[in-house]
This record gives sequence, C-alpha cells and structure tokens, in this order.
Amino acid sequence: MSLKTKIKLALLDNLVWVLLAAFFIANAFFTPAFLGMKNQLNILYQSATLGLLVLGMGIVMMVGELDLSMEATLAFAPGIVILAARQLNMGPVTCILLTLVLGTVIGFFNGFFVAKLKTNSFLLTMSSQIVMRGLVLFLVPFSLAGLDKGYTFLGRGRIGAIQIAILVLIVVYIIFEFIFHKTVFGRKFTLTGGNRRAAYISGINTDRVVIYAFMLAGLLSALAGLVTAGRQNAVSNSMGEGMVMMAFAGAILGGCSFNGGMGKPVGMLGGTLLLGMIDNALNLNGVDVNLVSATKGGLIFLAILLDRLRFKMSADIMHKENVRKLSAVQSNS
Amino acid sequence: MAEEQTALELRHVTKLYAGTVALEDVSLTIRRGEVHGLIGKNGAGKSTLVGIISGLVAPSSGEIWINGQKYTSLSPITAKHQHISIITQEPQVIEESTVMENFFMPGYLDDKKVIDWSEMRRRAVEILDRAGFPIDVSVKMRNLSISERQLLLVIKACFVENAEIVIMDEVSASLSQKDQAILYRLIDDLISAGKTIVFISHHTEELLRVCDWVTVIRDGHNVGSVMRENLDKKKLASLIVGSTNYDEQIMEDMSSMIREEEVFALKNFTSYGKFEHISLSVRMGEIVGLAGLRGSGRTELMKSVVGIDAYDDGTVWVAGSQKHYRSPAAARDDGVLYLTEEREAEGLIPIASIQKNLTVSILPRISRWGVLQTKKEEQLADDLIRTLDVKAFSRNQNIGQLSGGNKQKVLVGKIMAYTPLVCLLDEPTRGVDIEAKESILNTIHHELRKQSCVIITSPGVEDLIKICDRILVLYEGKIIDQFSREEFSEKEIYRAMQGEVIHIDEVRNNES
Repeated sequence: MSLKTKIKLALLDNLVWVLLAAFFIANAFFTPAFLGMKNQLNILYQSATLGLLVLGMGIVMMVGELDLSMEATLAFAPGIVILAARQLNMGPVTCILLTLVLGTVIGFFNGFFVAKLKTNSFLLTMSSQIVMRGLVLFLVPFSLAGLDKGYTFLGRGRIGAIQIAILVLIVVYIIFEFIFHKTVFGRKFTLTGGNRRAAYISGINTDRVVIYAFMLAGLLSALAGLVTAGRQNAVSNSMGEGMVMMAFAGAILGGCSFNGGMGKPVGMLGGTLLLGMIDNALNLNGVDVNLVSATKGGLIFLAILLDRLRFKMSADIMHKENVRKLSAVQSNS
Repeated sequence: MAEEQTALELRHVTKLYAGTVALEDVSLTIRRGEVHGLIGKNGAGKSTLVGIISGLVAPSSGEIWINGQKYTSLSPITAKHQHISIITQEPQVIEESTVMENFFMPGYLDDKKVIDWSEMRRRAVEILDRAGFPIDVSVKMRNLSISERQLLLVIKACFVENAEIVIMDEVSASLSQKDQAILYRLIDDLISAGKTIVFISHHTEELLRVCDWVTVIRDGHNVGSVMRENLDKKKLASLIVGSTNYDEQIMEDMSSMIREEEVFALKNFTSYGKFEHISLSVRMGEIVGLAGLRGSGRTELMKSVVGIDAYDDGTVWVAGSQKHYRSPAAARDDGVLYLTEEREAEGLIPIASIQKNLTVSILPRISRWGVLQTKKEEQLADDLIRTLDVKAFSRNQNIGQLSGGNKQKVLVGKIMAYTPLVCLLDEPTRGVDIEAKESILNTIHHELRKQSCVIITSPGVEDLIKICDRILVLYEGKIIDQFSREEFSEKEIYRAMQGEVIHIDEVRNNES
C-alpha cells in the first residue's frame, strides 16, 4: 500500500479529529476570545460530564445495544448516596465509592435484563430511566447543597489553572483507549457487537460482555454525576436531563454505530470535543441560547452525513487496493 | 395423435458466472399438464436453472419459450404475466398478517379501493375448503408452523394466483408428513385441471412418486429427461452421480497418521425429532465424513455436541472423559471446535479485520496478563493467511470485503489457529469456487488432522470421498450405513443418503 493511501485511510479513520481541527482553525480566525488558554480549558471543563457519558454510551453501542438511563443514573447515584450520607454520617471517600458502586449496580441490572432475558435495551433502559428520574424528583428536593469538599473535589478542585475534572476526563479516556486497543477484555466488546452469534459460537461469553458494557456505562454515568455535582456544588434533581441525546451524538460522531461492532475511545473524545467546541463558539459569537441548540443540531446532522461519506470512501479505497493487489499477483504468475 | 402442447421450453441456455460455467447449452421441454421433476447434486446448476425459469437469473445466451412466445430472459414481472408462480424452499410470508391477508397480498382484492374484509374472508374460506386444508383464516402466520405456511403458499399459488405453471423448489423439504400427503393430492388436482408443475427435490423416491418426467442436471448439463416408466431409484442415482472416476481425485491415503487413541465418541446421542441413538467413535488423526441430505440431522448433531443446542439423551466423550457442554465456550476450552455452515450469520464478524476474525477463539493465547501481544497476533495472522492462501491485501482488511471462498478460508483458519483436539466441520466447502475448495480440503487433509480428529460434512459426497478415512451416512436422524475407504463409491453413498441401506450388515459382520 502506498504512503498516500495509508495517510488517506488514516485521515478517514479519524475524520472526527480532522473536523475538529478544521473547526478549531476556523474559530481561531473568526471567533473573538476563542483561542485563549482560558477558553480552551473552559471547553475541556464544560465537556467533562458529556465526555464521560459519550464514552459510556459508546461502550454500550460497541456491543450493539443502547442505554437511555445514563442521564438518570447521573442524578440518581449521587442523589441517593448524599441522602443516605446525611442520615448515616458517612465520610466523603465512602460517599464517592458508594456513588460509583451504585452506578455500576444500576448498570448490572440493565445489562442482566438485556443479556439474560433478551429484553430490548431501548425499552428496558427507557423504563429504568423513568423510574430513576421519578425517584430522584420524589426523594431529592430541588437541590442538596452544602456538600463536603472531598465529595466535590472531582468537579471543583483544581491543580494550578487546570481543573481536576479535565484530568479525570483525560485519564479515563487514556485508560479506556488502552483497554479497547490492547486488552482481550476490550477486544471482546467489538467482536460481540459485530456479530453476537458468531462471537458466541467462537467461545466468547457474549452475555457477560453485554453485562460488562452496561456496568461500565453505569460506572461512567455515576462518575459524570460526581463531576456535575462538584461543578454546581450541589446535587440537583434535574442533573443530566436531556443529555442522553447529546451522548448519542458524540458517540456517533466518534465512530460508533447503532449496529454495533464499531467505535474507539479516541474517536469518542473527538466527538465530545467537537460538540463542546461548537457550543462554546456559538456562545462566544453571541448566538441566542435557543438558536445555539438548533444550530448545534444542524452541525451534528452535517457531521453525521460526512461520517456516512467517510464510510463509503474508505470502503472504496480498500476495494481499489484489493483489485490492484490481485491483478499484480495475476500478472506476476 | 394430437401433439402435446409445450408449456415451457429452454433452448440452448447457457449461464456464465465470473470464472465458472453454471449451465452449458441446456435444452429442456416441459409439456402442459405434466409434473416435471428436476434433480441434481449440489452445485450441478440446478438452482441456476430454477432461477432462470422463475425470472431471478438472466441467462447469458439461449432462448426461453413460454406458450409459444420467445424470451431471452425473464423477470418476475413477465413470469407473473405468463402465470408462473414460484414457491421457494423457505416459505416467504408476512408473519404479522393473517392467513387471508397473505393470500390476497399484495393486491388484496383487486379493483377495490377499500378492503372488503368479509368478502376476503369468504373467498379465503372457500379456497381452503376446496384445497381440503381446514385452517382458521384469521390466524396470524406467525402462529403457524413452517410446514403449514409452506402449504398455504402452495395453495395460494394454485388457487389465488391461478398459476398455469407452478414451480416448487424443494417445497416438500419443510413439510410434515401429513402436509406432504395434502401436497401430493393438490398436485394431482392441479394436473387434472391441466396445469403444469416443475418439481425440484433432492429425494429420488419422492420424484419417482410424483413426477411424470424427470430431468437430471449434472455439471451444468442436462444429462437426460426421462419418463418415469423408464426409471427406478438405482438408474436415477447413476444419472445424478454420473460415471466420473473419482479414484484419481482421492487425496493420498493418510491413514498412517491415525493413532489408536480414541479422542471423541458419542454414545446413544439423541435429540428427539432431530437425531436418535447416534453412536460413533473417532481416533486421533482420523477424518470421518458425515454424509446426509439437508435435514438429516448432521448440523443439529454438531450443534448439540458443542452446547449451542440442548440434547435429550446419550453421552459425549472427549479424550476418555464424559462431557456435557452447555456453551461453545466450554467446548472450546476442551479443544472441541465447531465450524458453522452459516458463514455469514454465525461464522464471521463482517466489520472486523481478517486478523481479528482469525484470533477470536484464541485471545487468551495471544495475550499476557490480559494484554494482547500485537506482534504475536500479527505473526499468527500472517502465517494463517499464507497457509490458507487467503487473497487479501492486508491482514487488516475487513473480512466483509472478501469473496465467499476467501471468507470460508478464514473460517477454517479460525479453527486451525486453535489447534483443536476435535474439529466438527459443518460444510467447510459450502459455496466456494473450485480453487478455494481444493485449498480448504488440502489443509484439512494434511494440516488439521495432525493434532486432531475431524468430523466433516459436505454439500457433495465427492468432497468427503476425497479426504475422509471413513464415511457415515445419516438418514432421518439415524446412522444407517458406513463406508470404509476401500468401499467409497459416490453412487452407493448417494443411494444410502436416500435411505437405502446397502451394506451395514456386512460391515458389522466383518468387524465382529
């Protein structure tokens, strides 16, 4: 394969980063106050919560399912734990651990029903979403303020100029990139999503993989809940509302597909940042809040069209390469 | 004597596919008012021929004459204009609709803009009465068995579409015995009403029972259209198989590689309705063929061994100890691997690379502490791609972009990568070109048997004859015959697959 084709394929494979770079350069010229370090950190900070949700959704989409309950878990896990902490006088570290455990348990519940009882993940997670949101609205008053400093550290803390939330986002993505790129555990996710029956017959315990995917999504939702609670220095009962659609958008921009079997964390991070950057640039340009939402929708639509095009182009290049190689073999023999 | 009227005629029809000739200069006459049988081995060109008649395949050259009109190719629309109906092997129905809706789909009752439900019901009931198949017309198709669905489609073709020519493509394969009887009666009715039927089947006995004429297709040629009076099972079998001498093609005898130790055995293995009382034993290095028609229980047997399906009775023995696998993962851990006949649906992960597909079953082996050893994986993939001669430009190419034959090679490679103890290969040569077939058979014959025992099925007996040390014949879920290497004869094995016991008693006597 020639170097040119290789570069072409690599660029197409990481199209979201190409788009991100293009968007960045355009804004650097045309949007005032965009380029500053402070604004860049702001974009990252604002993206932290969404980034964790995108990753969780991406993992569930890798195995060919989806999870609508993530945005409710985001409020439910910290909400319940903080309520309990007030009764039982628990320390911040216990609270953080319990929040993460609760999120994981919720994920296990979703995954168990999807994998073992073959329920449809859309319907199942929609119902658990409604139940959890309802419980949070019922149990948690408008907001629980006055949280312990330790509990809000992930969302509020900073080292120098850099918020801890940014570090959390980056470290989590590095860990998951390693898992999905380099480990057996991670490899099983895309294999299961690519063809569950074939993976099962090849000896992969596909039910377990599906359950793990939902558990990771629950864990990441709870972590996103911690970050959000820290940022607003309170647990409110409306945290995360409506975010699940943005999580889908980010995951799809990042290379996931509803058919499963595709996606890598690097791409999902690109998707997240692209969404965050669009948000930021529109705000800086003084676009009306409601128009921001509509514009964002339009840009996402455009990006998804480009993504389809990418798929086709990449397949075309591969096909041509194949023909070229086969005809070379034939003319040699 | 009045000349018989020709309903459908093919003149010098040829069909070329890239690289192969599916049909060569085939001429065929089907007279009005007869049941005309079509038979041939897998890959003989029979399905191409059926495709041409039903308008799904365009011939490369030749003419098709229907009712005195000449066509160079048919389409489903011309087929409909000429009142040709096709009933396929797997019943095509809309599951969520009722029997009567399926009957009158897609036009419902033509010339009416509003659906007249009561009229539709009346007509549907009337038709079913006429057909002698009493069934509630407002039942959804989903709730009917495959056999009932298939029969309803036959009834639809006969009475709703009023077809002049009905093509039945292995229709009886999915029918229960009771429904088969109804089918035969319907065929009789149709013939007395002057209709024409093309009847495709794998079963010689059924053809001889139903048809007036039988045409045999072999290697893309029409080797004879014969009247039933002049046929019997034996004659038909020899027409189908031909006189090709396979001796030269049999691969060299490798039985010296067979070791004494028994690696795999089944005792009284039973899943009622699928297979019964299967007992067999395979030694290290041995290749045993399972010959049998579709539905004889070979696939079901293999799937039950590795735990994809459950079984009712009997025991599985691997390397001397009794096993009961509840998932393919458990079987794999003991080195028992299954190669599925459903390449696309169950075998491959289409959007993953060749490399990832090859290593699905051996992930733990190419990793340390759960971390994949990239170099090792790449090395292994390259080796397998070379051994199997997979035509691809890179191990990172998506498997979905490969040709059927190359996909199948990867599927075999997946098994080889594991170096299993027991290989259960279900039609490893299905749907591949000759070159790929040779390379796959060669690999099994020379490489795979080195550290394993192999049980293999194939769409055609000739593949089994080439590489097996022993062939067992399955018929209706039972092993009814056994051939050792010296006794291999395509004709006789083919007859055994049709249920004719040829010499199992002799075999038993010799052994005792």
